[in-house]
Amino acid sequence: MISAEEITGILGEAISRANTEMDPEIVKLLDLYEGPFSRVLKENAVAAKATGLPICQDTGFLEFFVFQGNEVTLEEPIVETLNLTVKKVYTSEPFRYSMVSDPLLKRENTGDNTPAICHLFPVRGNKLEVRFLVKGGGSENLSRLFMLNPASTVDEVVYTVVESIRESGTRGCPPLKIGIGIGGSSDKAMILAKLALTRSINEKHYDKEYAALEERILKDVNDLRIGYQGLGKGITAYSVHIETYPSHIAIMPIGLATDCYIARKGRIILED
Amino acid sequence: MKIEELRAGDELLYSGEFLVMRDAAQKRLKKMIEENEEIPVSLDRAIVFYAGPAKPTKVSFGAIGPTTSSRMDSFLEMLYMKGVLATIGKGKRGPLSATLCRNYKRVYFLAPSGAAAALASRISDLTVLAFEDLGTEAIFRTQVKDFPLYVAIDSLGNDVFTLNRR
Repeated sequence: MISAEEITGILGEAISRANTEMDPEIVKLLDLYEGPFSRVLKENAVAAKATGLPICQDTGFLEFFVFQGNEVTLEEPIVETLNLTVKKVYTSEPFRYSMVSDPLLKRENTGDNTPAICHLFPVRGNKLEVRFLVKGGGSENLSRLFMLNPASTVDEVVYTVVESIRESGTRGCPPLKIGIGIGGSSDKAMILAKLALTRSINEKHYDKEYAALEERILKDVNDLRIGYQGLGKGITAYSVHIETYPSHIAIMPIGLATDCYIARKGRIILED
Repeated sequence: MKIEELRAGDELLYSGEFLVMRDAAQKRLKKMIEENEEIPVSLDRAIVFYAGPAKPTKVSFGAIGPTTSSRMDSFLEMLYMKGVLATIGKGKRGPLSATLCRNYKRVYFLAPSGAAAALASRISDLTVLAFEDLGTEAIFRTQVKDFPLYVAIDSLGNDVFTLNRR
């Protein structure tokens, strides 16, 4: 049996780290950037790690992807443990509480950054894998769902994604990481787009044709020359990640999700 | 700082005072103004920083940085009518904002986004002025030193995001 304490300890540390330490691959790219605010951005990466202050004041909401093996027994329901972990990290670190309880009428801050968004995927085996995104609101507002015609071509899919980034890319703190969910249903496509963001920026699709499509969209997005901070200098996107699922004959859902230039994420794996 | 001399694309380091407020506070201010209530802060000659700070530590007022300005476009004229000189945020705004900057001779600055730990070291005060119940979305006053800014829309209505798009 995996205890709630074990999950909270390991996962909590990973969430803290995601908020204060930039991914080394992303720091490497940031080092290459010369343009508006380049000095302060580089200073920031060092300062956050040294002081324990978050890289960004928007310390986001937590989006979890839980892959629970059928041989795994948990002490507590996983969603409770995940929310407890978020509460523990956010109330003890100098992060921000960004969640409001009622989304429309009251919008009262919950005061501990819960609840998290949790997606559960039952799988075989004796492992519990938890992937997470620390997702800021700015990049989240770039999310889109396109219900394309089922006869749409690859060119139309590329066009749809690239035009969406052209329109709103400056608002998501570029360079962006782009997740695309193709197929399933409307909701499934969006979850796939988010799941795609849990991959590392160098992790291509296992299928060569989809990997080539990722490369093609990345090139077209970078040709937009939106750049760091939206000011035209440096790359516009780090990577494009596609996830797919079978779909109904009458539909072709395209989910689009983006992450900001910090692309905060993590992954833990525990064995029962 | 002479607002009207600034041009889109200029970079500067600013030292002085900002009024920190974002979505929820401006929504509430708008309602108060519409209902002819007295608002709890003076906006006259203020520089408004669209931001919601993270929690402070023993040695820092906390991580702080700009949020997306386009969400606050619908409140911009209200701010200018109350005397606000400039706004600071991140990202491209809607076309109405450039028109308002030109009409009122005001500017829109960018602050570096995703640089909150570095910006924390440029802040020497952070005091809640109003709407404390909104948590990070309250209205704060802050003192800054050598705070990096970039002119995105100048008082002639030139918008760097439109100019850059060639």
